[in-house]
Amino acid sequence: MNEFTGWLLDLYPSPGHGIALWLICEDGQRRCLYQDFPVTFYAAGRSHRLRALWAFLRKQPFHITLARTERRDLFSGSTIVLAASLDQPSTLPSLFQTLTRIFPDLTFYDTDLHIALRHAAVYGTFPLARCHIVTDRQDKICELDVLDSKWDIDPKSPPLRVITIEPDTDPFHNNPQKILVRSQKSCVSLDLNEDSASLGLLSYLLKCADPDLIITSHGDTWLFPLILKLAKAQKRSLPLNRDPNAKITYRKARSYFAYNQVIYRGQQIHLAGRLHLDIRNTVMYHDYGIDGVLEMARVTSLPIQTVARVSPGTGISAMQIVTALKQEILVPLRKEQVERPKTTSELFHDDMGGIVYDPIVGLHEDVAEVDFASMYPSIMVQFNISPETVNVGKKTSDSVMNLERITAQEPQGLIPQTLAPLLTKRLKLKTKLISLSKWDCRYKNYKANTAAYKWLLVTCFGYLGYKNARFGRIEAHEAVTAYGREILLRAKDVAEDMGFRVLHLYVDGMWIKKAGCRTKQDFQPLLDKITTTTKLFIMLDGIYKWVAFLPSRQNKKIAVPNRYFGVFQNGDIKTRGIETRRHDTPIFIKETQIKILEILTAAPGGMQIASLLPEIETVVREKETELRLGKIPLEKLIIHQTVSRQLDEYRSPSPAFVALKQLKKVGKSLRPGQSIRFLYILGKQRSRAWDLPYTFDPRTVDIARYWLLLTRAISAILDPFEVTDEIILGKNKQLKLDL
Amino acid sequence: MGNVTPTITDLLHREQANLAKFRRALRREDQLVFDDLFVAAYKHRAAAAYAGHLLPFETFLLAMQLEDHKEVLRMRREVDYLHSQISRLQARQNE
Repeated sequence: MNEFTGWLLDLYPSPGHGIALWLICEDGQRRCLYQDFPVTFYAAGRSHRLRALWAFLRKQPFHITLARTERRDLFSGSTIVLAASLDQPSTLPSLFQTLTRIFPDLTFYDTDLHIALRHAAVYGTFPLARCHIVTDRQDKICELDVLDSKWDIDPKSPPLRVITIEPDTDPFHNNPQKILVRSQKSCVSLDLNEDSASLGLLSYLLKCADPDLIITSHGDTWLFPLILKLAKAQKRSLPLNRDPNAKITYRKARSYFAYNQVIYRGQQIHLAGRLHLDIRNTVMYHDYGIDGVLEMARVTSLPIQTVARVSPGTGISAMQIVTALKQEILVPLRKEQVERPKTTSELFHDDMGGIVYDPIVGLHEDVAEVDFASMYPSIMVQFNISPETVNVGKKTSDSVMNLERITAQEPQGLIPQTLAPLLTKRLKLKTKLISLSKWDCRYKNYKANTAAYKWLLVTCFGYLGYKNARFGRIEAHEAVTAYGREILLRAKDVAEDMGFRVLHLYVDGMWIKKAGCRTKQDFQPLLDKITTTTKLFIMLDGIYKWVAFLPSRQNKKIAVPNRYFGVFQNGDIKTRGIETRRHDTPIFIKETQIKILEILTAAPGGMQIASLLPEIETVVREKETELRLGKIPLEKLIIHQTVSRQLDEYRSPSPAFVALKQLKKVGKSLRPGQSIRFLYILGKQRSRAWDLPYTFDPRTVDIARYWLLLTRAISAILDPFEVTDEIILGKNKQLKLDL
Repeated sequence: MGNVTPTITDLLHREQANLAKFRRALRREDQLVFDDLFVAAYKHRAAAAYAGHLLPFETFLLAMQLEDHKEVLRMRREVDYLHSQISRLQARQNE
C-alpha cells in the first residue's frame, strides 16, 4: 500500500486500466495512478426495443452489466430505463456511436459525458484538487479523498512547472525562422532551418524541464502539427505527452454561429499527462489569463485543456451536469422539450428582454452608477427559477409584480443549486477586492477569478433559453427577465421617490444624480432602501466626476444606450461603445483616443476643460503630423474584422472582401469566424490584406481615410464638450477639406 | 436565445418605413417636423417595449404626444416666468 498527497493534474480513460489520474505529489514527483471506474449509461423507450438493446449489448465482446431500473428525468419525472455499466470508460464513445445508428428510436441518457464530470460527481474531484490517495502495489487507487473545496477562496496552489513555446513571428503573416522555448530557468531559440538538431534539442528540453503545462502561441494550429510532422519524418520520438502509452488527441477546426456572430475555433491538440494551452486558440484568455482558466477548470470540473478552449456556456452546462449526476437525475443527450404553443398576446408579454432606456444625451457631473450584483443569476437563486420549477403555482404576471415566487418553494431547482455557491464565492471575492490594494499579490488572481465567474453567470441565463441546452426551458428564461424588469423599475421608483434623477437604466444598472450627493455615504441610504424593496443586493459601482452619454452618429437627436464614457472620482476611465472598445479600430486610433481621455481626467468638472485644450490640441497635431509623414508603424494601422461568411457569399466589394480575395490568390483562405487583417490603401482596390507575402510600399497608405477615422474618434469624445471643431481644425482650415 | 418577436426598435423602423410615402409627399419643412416626431418615439422605446402592446404604433403616438406635452409644459413655465418678470418690472416702473 502506498499513500500520496498532491494535486490532480489530469484525468482520462486509459484502455485496460479504467482511468488514469496524474498527480503532482507534494514530494515533487509526478505520478500516474490508475483507478477502476465503471461508467453507466441509460436508455428509455418502448419495451420491445429495450429488449432488443439488451440482447445487442449482451453480445458485445467486453463486459457490460445490465439492469432494469428507475431514474428521474428532470422534466417527466420517474422513468423506467435500461442501465448499462461498462468497466472500461474508453469503450463508451464508439459503442454509443453504434447504438445511435442501430437504435435511433430510443432515448439515451448519460452517454456523452466527459469522464472528468462523472468522476467529479462520484468523488468530488476537480482539476488541481488536493487529494489524498491510497494505492495498491500496481498503482491502482483503493481510496481517494479530496482535501479542499472548489469554493475555497485561497486554495493552496500546486507548484506547476511551466514552459512557453512560440514562433518568432505570426505563421499566418510570415514564415517563422525560429521558435523560442522559455522555462523558469532558461530561454532557448531553436532554428527551424536546422530541424534535426532543433528537434533533438526540443526533445532534450522537454525531458529536462518535464513541464506540467506547455503554453504555446499557435501551438494548436501550426507549431505542434509542424514539429510532430518533422518528428515523424525523422522517426524521432518527441515527449510531448507525459504518458507514453496515451495518444495525442486532435479535435478538428470548426465555425459555428452563436451570440449573433460567427465564431471560429481552430484545430485543437490535447496532451496526456501534461497540459497544452494555445493562447491563440483559447476562449476568454485575454479576459482572465491563465489564473482565470485554472479557476474555470476548478469550478466547472472540466479538464484544464478543455475548459480553456470552450465557451463559458459549456462550463456552466458542465456544472449543471455534475449537479444532475450527483442527484441521480438523467442527463439527456440533447434538449427534449419544445416551447408550448402561445398566443400572439402571450408572446408580446413574455418574450421581452431587460429594460434599456435611451439615456439623457450630454455631459453630466457627479453621477453614481449603481447595479445589482449578478442580477439574473441572483433572481434564479432567490426565486428558485429552474426548468423543472417554473409554471407551478400562481399566475406568473401577478406573482412577479408582487415579487413572489412563481415557482415551487421546495425543493431547490437544479439551476439554483448549481449557481448558489458560485454566486456566494463571487460576492466574497468582490467584497475582498474592495478592500484590497492593487499591489497586493492576490489582487490579480481575485480579479481574474471574478471575471471568470462573471462569464459563467452571464451565460447561465442565456443557456436557460438556448435551443440546444440540455437543461433549458424558455419559460424559465422569460421568468428571469420578467423579474429583472420589475426589480429595475422598483429601483427606479425608489430613486425618484428619494429625489434622484434617473439619467439611464440598463438591464441591471442605473445612472443617477441628485444635487449635493457626491460621496458614497450620500448614496448609501438609497442603496439600502433598494435592497430592502427588491430583496436583491445592489452595489455602488462608482461615482463619476463626469460622464457623457453620446448620441447616434446618424442622428444626433437619438441617444444610444451603450455609448458613453466618463471619469470616476478615483481617476479610472470607463468607456463603452466608442472606438477604444471596438475590435476593428486600428491601435493608433485607440491610443490617441485613450491619450485624450487621460488628459480629460484632470478636469475637475465636466465643463471645466478650457485649461486642458492646448494639451489636447498638441496631441492631435502631433498625431496628425505623424500620420501625414508616414511615421506611424504599419502594424498600428491594421484593421481587424471578423470574416462573417464564405467568400462567394459577399454581396458588396467591402474592404474585407477585397482583402480576402487577395489572400485567396496566394493560397491563404480564411473561414467564417476567423479574423481578417488589412490596411486602407490608395487606388482601385482600396484595401490590402496584411498577410500577403510580398512587400508593400508604405507610401500607398490612404492617409485621408485614416485621418477621417481619427477625427471621428476624437469627435466622439470632444463633442460633449463642444470643442471638437476648435481642436480638430486648429488653425489649419485646409484640413477641413480632408473631412 | 429566446427572442422570436421583433424588437421594439424593429417595430418602430417598420412603422417609419410604412409611412415613407406619406413623408415623401410632405413639404421639406414638414418632413423635418415628421422626423422630429419619430425622434420622440425613439426616446420612449423602453416604455413601449415594456407595455407589450399588440398595436405598438399607439404607444409610439403617445410617446410623440408625451414629448410634445413636455415641450408645452416647459414653454408654459417659461411664459409664466417671463410674465412674472414683466409684472415685476411694471411694478417697479409704477413705483
